[in-house]
Amino acid sequence: MTNAQLDTPVLILGGGVAGLAAAVDLARRGVAATIIEREPRLGGRASQFCCKATEACARCGACRLGELMAQAAHLPQITIYTAALAVAAQPRGDGWQVELAPQPNGEIGPGPGRPLSERATLNAQAVILAVGGEAFNPAGKTRFGHGRVEGVFSALELEAMLAQGALGPKAMAPAKVAFIQCVGSRDASLGRLWCSRVCCGYALRMGRVIRGLLPESEVTFFHMDVQDYGRAWEEELPELRKQMRFVRAMPGEVTAGDGGPEVTYALAGEQAIKEGFDLVVLSVGLGPPNGASALGELFGAAKDSDGFLTADGGPAGVFVAGAAAGPRSLNESIVHGGLAASQAASRVASLSEARHG
Amino acid sequence: MRLNECDPGFKHEVAAEPGGAGIRACFACAACSARCPVGANRPDYDPRRLIRLTLLGRREEVLASPLIWLCSSCYTCGEVCPQQVRFTEVLTAIKNIASREGHAPPSAKITAELLAKQGRLLEVTDFENDKRADLGLPPVEQRPQDFQAILGLKPSEGEAGEEPR
Ligand SMILES: Cc1cc2nc3c(=O)[nH]c(=O)nc-3n(C[C@H](O)[C@H](O)[C@H](O)COP(=O)(O)OP(=O)(O)OC[C@H]3O[C@@H](n4cnc5c(N)ncnc54)[C@H](O)[C@@H]3O)c2cc1C
Ligand code: SF4
Ligand code: SF4
Ligand code: SF4
Ligand code: SF4
Repeated sequence: MTNAQLDTPVLILGGGVAGLAAAVDLARRGVAATIIEREPRLGGRASQFCCKATEACARCGACRLGELMAQAAHLPQITIYTAALAVAAQPRGDGWQVELAPQPNGEIGPGPGRPLSERATLNAQAVILAVGGEAFNPAGKTRFGHGRVEGVFSALELEAMLAQGALGPKAMAPAKVAFIQCVGSRDASLGRLWCSRVCCGYALRMGRVIRGLLPESEVTFFHMDVQDYGRAWEEELPELRKQMRFVRAMPGEVTAGDGGPEVTYALAGEQAIKEGFDLVVLSVGLGPPNGASALGELFGAAKDSDGFLTADGGPAGVFVAGAAAGPRSLNESIVHGGLAASQAASRVASLSEARHG
Repeated sequence: MRLNECDPGFKHEVAAEPGGAGIRACFACAACSARCPVGANRPDYDPRRLIRLTLLGRREEVLASPLIWLCSSCYTCGEVCPQQVRFTEVLTAIKNIASREGHAPPSAKITAELLAKQGRLLEVTDFENDKRADLGLPPVEQRPQDFQAILGLKPSEGEAGEEPR
């Protein structure tokens, strides 16, 4: 049996915002592209995020995913396969020959694209790796109690709880919520030296959402310093400082208390104290994608000193876009996807010129 | 605080001392202060504060402070530090400078004398070695010569050295 043949000018691995933005950008330039998504549904991490608007839009970027999916669904230049994995790749001619295998795992999600049903071979002139990054597993920071102390959640779990409406006056209504920043980022003891750049913003936005849902609640933000999180953040801070308690201290530990998790921390000039909360949220950082080495090897992409993928096209025509190349917000990943698209489009154009000229 | 009372070279002096280099990386995040057991019992003992004073160059204040001698060397601060500052060792560096300038408290001198005499802080007596013999373990000996050499003292012949053998 010979494999199905799915040739395309540009192969995009990963159907998160970066991969989708790259495909839409290529289509606008008249270049066809195929997205291969490992999961049964498109969207990547953003598909788990809820809208953070309170009185006004919080510019969290989550709705950009919906826009991109709708655009991708209507552009004829874009082909999407979900539940598919690149299992082998080799340079071939002026591009790549890639073997694809179906990944029959889980329910097929809504949205554009269809699951890959059989093994296939795909030739492409350029490849964009848009596989995203991995969120830090907070169990790796044992002293913060995730998985051991009841009431301790990762920010990803809080995102899902907010999206499902699990928090509110008629649902779970914590009176005191703490966010602990930089969990799995800026931490030499974990060998993760980088700032993840999105967690200050997402924590403050989620804190504001909680204050909106539960006006009686008190939100505490334990941080070392606040990373800028986009346009006008400095003007927003004074208002946020009124809505939440900003504590400039990294807690020493989170332990189980009688009424819920207890956070031990020290304020300047004061003795360490233990304070009880109903909910402690660990603001986990973004790290290199799982299997970055394997993917890098497959396509000859290097890793930077932190382990993120790097590739700038080069003779092989491999590009990296979005959080796979380093911590990025949704909006930044979309812009980055556009950059990779423009570079891939130039490559495709110059290859076809060389062939016909 | 007056800036002209600060010694901008002090942090470099500490960093150049063995064990002191970690101070360069401190974020001032206070994770150490949150967990230090000495701080939990002495409101005025705060690792982050000692680091800040050092970075600010409050040389005399730090070196003459009785607080720097209170650390129990439990290494909890190092365990929780995101920056691998190793504050216990930074403080040892500070204490070494303080000692050279005559700030060591009497207890430090007593400790040094004990080390010189016994080669260890706890004297080895028949009690320990009888217990070890019961358990089938070889006896421990006191070897003060090594420490005496480090401290530049003459070996004290025939003192605690051979006795337990
Ligand atoms: C807790 C948390 C909260 C966040 N909140 C915000 C926020 O409020 N605002 C904001 O702007 N950003 C936020 N971010 C950052 C945001 O998630 C990223 O910017 C964004 O997801 C990056 O998009 P991406 O397309 O590069 O990667 P992803 O969204 O991770 O998408 C990558 C896609 O590639 C697929 N894939 C992986 N490996 C393969 C493979 N080998 N082959 C094929 N497909 C593969 C994945 O299944 C996934 O669908 C948050 C991050 C975290 C962890
Ligand atoms: S950017 Fe975020 S807060 Fe604003 S409308 Fe979109 S999803 Fe809601
Ligand atoms: S964005 Fe904020 S919480 Fe995240 S790593 Fe940077 S400083 Fe820490
Ligand atoms: S825990 Fe480390 S980085 Fe934080 S204040 Fe203490 S020494 Fe500095
Ligand atoms: S080593 Fe010293 S400073 Fe560090 S936690 Fe223990 S007593 Fe405190």
